[in-house]
Amino acid sequence: MAEKENKKPDVSPDEEVLESLPDGEQEGEPDDELVLKAQRGDVHAFDQLVERYHGKIYGLTYNMTSNREDAEDLTQEVFIKAFEALPRFRGKSSFYTWLYRIAVNKTINYRKKRNRKRALSLDQFDQEIKTDEVYHALTTKGSPLRNMSLTELQIKLNEALQNLSEKHRTVVVMHDMQGIPHEEIAKVVGASVGTVRSRLFYARRQMQAELAEFVK
Amino acid sequence: MMNEGNQTESTADTTAELLLQQLMQLKRYETPETARMTRNKQNIMREVRTAKAGKRKSIGDLLEVSIPWFFAEPKYGVAALFVAFVALQYLGMSARNSARSTGIYTTTDNFAAFEPSASVSTNRTTYPTLPSNYPLFNGQQNQSDIRFVERLEPK
Repeated sequence: MAEKENKKPDVSPDEEVLESLPDGEQEGEPDDELVLKAQRGDVHAFDQLVERYHGKIYGLTYNMTSNREDAEDLTQEVFIKAFEALPRFRGKSSFYTWLYRIAVNKTINYRKKRNRKRALSLDQFDQEIKTDEVYHALTTKGSPLRNMSLTELQIKLNEALQNLSEKHRTVVVMHDMQGIPHEEIAKVVGASVGTVRSRLFYARRQMQAELAEFVK
Repeated sequence: MMNEGNQTESTADTTAELLLQQLMQLKRYETPETARMTRNKQNIMREVRTAKAGKRKSIGDLLEVSIPWFFAEPKYGVAALFVAFVALQYLGMSARNSARSTGIYTTTDNFAAFEPSASVSTNRTTYPTLPSNYPLFNGQQNQSDIRFVERLEPK
């Protein structure tokens, strides 16, 4: 399956709309310094790291599980695991990549242990969605979403996402939702950039099939 | 003709992909509740501190465990502290006032009664009794360089 996937190249998405990694945009002390301090036992430094990456890790675990209680538990486990493993962190990759790797592994293992899909428990859509151009375009006359409520749309989207395999969902969430470049995803999941691209391609194909009634 | 067919298929694929991307972007509007996130971060840091202390819990940690809402929502904690402070003040004040209160009151049998103050009942103002060796003025006044010479009477 993996070999078959690798043959198909990914139709590259418009990279410019994607967010860049947070390394360049962070305020305050750089990650390296905070990590060093945390390794020396400075809990406040670790607190700053938690503050900095909590939202991203929660976003990853939430979109991977579509269950906010699970996502909260997983986020907590990820940071505690990171704190315990921090003395062994040698800085070969960035702290962000390392943390993401823990989060992805934890989430996949968590779901394997449960061995079944949990019921959806979703965060509310922000009301700002109604001012979004994309949403506006999708709900105007002639669109299949016109008569659909926000909740229905949300459920459909999450169900389609949960029907993907773990590795496909991982790349879709990281790339299409969190805007992480292929190269970084490759480092996190421990695969080549080509594999990441092909997984993304197949994941999108499957999503299109799942959401065929809207995506035509 | 075949080229046209391929082109149409490719355009449809691109449109579908674009639509899918747009749908996926809508998921970014799913935002967690701020209070839940704050609680989650605090739980993480509490666990981290506990792990660091090697399961030796401080009073602060114990408080955090027993009344987590107090720390999860500091504004409610501060409000609760303020209410407790006001309540204690009120209790203290009413206790002080009731101890030395005078005037009309009702007994348990619903009879009106009157408790005159000590000065009213005796027509004398009572002062606290002081020990005989208690200095009314401190010693420094006696050692002052200013000496009393005579009283100046108005002309």
